Amino acid sequence: MSVFQYISENWDQIGPQIATHLEIVAECIAITSVIGLGLGIAAARSEPLSTIIMAVTSTILTVPSFALFGLLSIWFGLANPPVIVGLVLYGLLPVTRNTRAGIKAVDRAVVESARGMGMSPRQVLWKVELPLAVPVVLGGIRQATVMIVAIATVGATVGVDDLGQTILSAIGRTTGTLDAVLAGILPVAAIGILADLILAGIQRALSRGRVSVAAT
Amino acid sequence: MITFDSVVKRYANSVAVDHLSLEIKSGETVILVGPSGCGKTTSLKMINRLVEPTEGTISIDARDTRTYDVNDLRRSIGYVIQQVGLFPHQTVAENIATVPRLLGWTKQRTAARVEELLDLIALPAAEYARRLPAELSGGERQRVGVARALGADPNILLMDEPFGAIDPIARERLQNELLRLQSVVRKTIVFVTHDIDEAVKLGDRVALLSRGGKLEQFATPEELLAHPQSEFVTGFLGEGPLVRRLALIPISDVALPAVNGAAPDASVDAGGTLRDALDAVLRSAEGTVRVVSGDQTLGLIDADVIRAASMRAR
Repeated sequence: MSVFQYISENWDQIGPQIATHLEIVAECIAITSVIGLGLGIAAARSEPLSTIIMAVTSTILTVPSFALFGLLSIWFGLANPPVIVGLVLYGLLPVTRNTRAGIKAVDRAVVESARGMGMSPRQVLWKVELPLAVPVVLGGIRQATVMIVAIATVGATVGVDDLGQTILSAIGRTTGTLDAVLAGILPVAAIGILADLILAGIQRALSRGRVSVAAT
Repeated sequence: MITFDSVVKRYANSVAVDHLSLEIKSGETVILVGPSGCGKTTSLKMINRLVEPTEGTISIDARDTRTYDVNDLRRSIGYVIQQVGLFPHQTVAENIATVPRLLGWTKQRTAARVEELLDLIALPAAEYARRLPAELSGGERQRVGVARALGADPNILLMDEPFGAIDPIARERLQNELLRLQSVVRKTIVFVTHDIDEAVKLGDRVALLSRGGKLEQFATPEELLAHPQSEFVTGFLGEGPLVRRLALIPISDVALPAVNGAAPDASVDAGGTLRDALDAVLRSAEGTVRVVSGDQTLGLIDADVIRAASMRAR
């Protein structure tokens, strides 16, 4: 039995799982981008704050995902909520780090001339610093997205019915394990690649005349 | 009018500006010049409050700058820096429109002003308005920087070593263009440079500062070159100040003896300066040259006439 046959035979189950997976990923990206942007701006403004924010967001990434989801399920219950919170936390580091780096990389002369012409600190941030940091910030969001798409599968361990379930239920089977695992992995990979391509396109479109910081 | 009244800027363990008192009249170009560490840039930045003085006051038209809202103050003062600092993600037109937009001008008024300014700096709008800064040469970028500073037609223009990073030929062109621009717009310009030749060429008056922000002399270029007031000034002016001063006196200011008898072949254009005349005299076989305007000979000039004119101007 091939993978695609397996997928089409189990479409009743896998179709909704893809939808759930997409939904969780989209929500997490949106939330982690907003929070990460805020933390990145704060980190770019204050060195002491930057040290704390970077330490905390890095430490979160060292916690194994099923442990984090398990821990969060104490407060958020089972299924989607603890996983969304956990994935948002994981996504913070790349978004925060890149936002800070993107703002810091803006030519000081550009910022000084903006201030010298009478832009308020808020106008400097929204009209000069962030527009120029966009490619780097989007680089961080891309990294977070790929990570979140993959780690979302672990949400199955606390009861999320996403593509992780297909993989989880395949483990320990006597026959057809490979097809079943691949049936979970292939859509995950497809979502990851697709999301990355879309974000890369947006990143390119918004990079007009921007500082050429390696947009990783 | 910009008035520095006993202005001091002290940092943790150094004095950048030491009791500076200056009066800059409306419509004049004042050059702050001196070696690095003389506080010239600090003094400039205290005018638009990018740096706040430790002591003393700076007033514009007799009003203490601290009584202004800082952003309103800056929007009313043009500011040009050496690195230009154009916004790389905005077109030339968008860059020039920065301050008008901050002030909430209408679209039509802003667009008209942008066109007027591109015209003023001799960059055709049709060709340049939609370019990004990365698509301009260094000199063009600097001109756009000046146009942006003039965006909302401020009375005061602050320029911090604007031509410092530009190659000598383009720099001279930009200096001449600034002189031409200033003859049209008549702003109060405060201009910082470390280059005494640039100071002498562009300034109506020159304020020479020494390390630690002490004002050594504040005078017209002619006065500065003719009568340096201290050892420091003499040293900073460098060699041959009186010869260089000749470049500041136009031939047209000098009463010329008329041609009497045979006129020499060699000539100098009446639009030049006494330095051009001296050069022509030294080059000539007779030691005397004709001053010409087109086909017309206006008179004769020689070393004695140049010397007398130089003495009189002192």
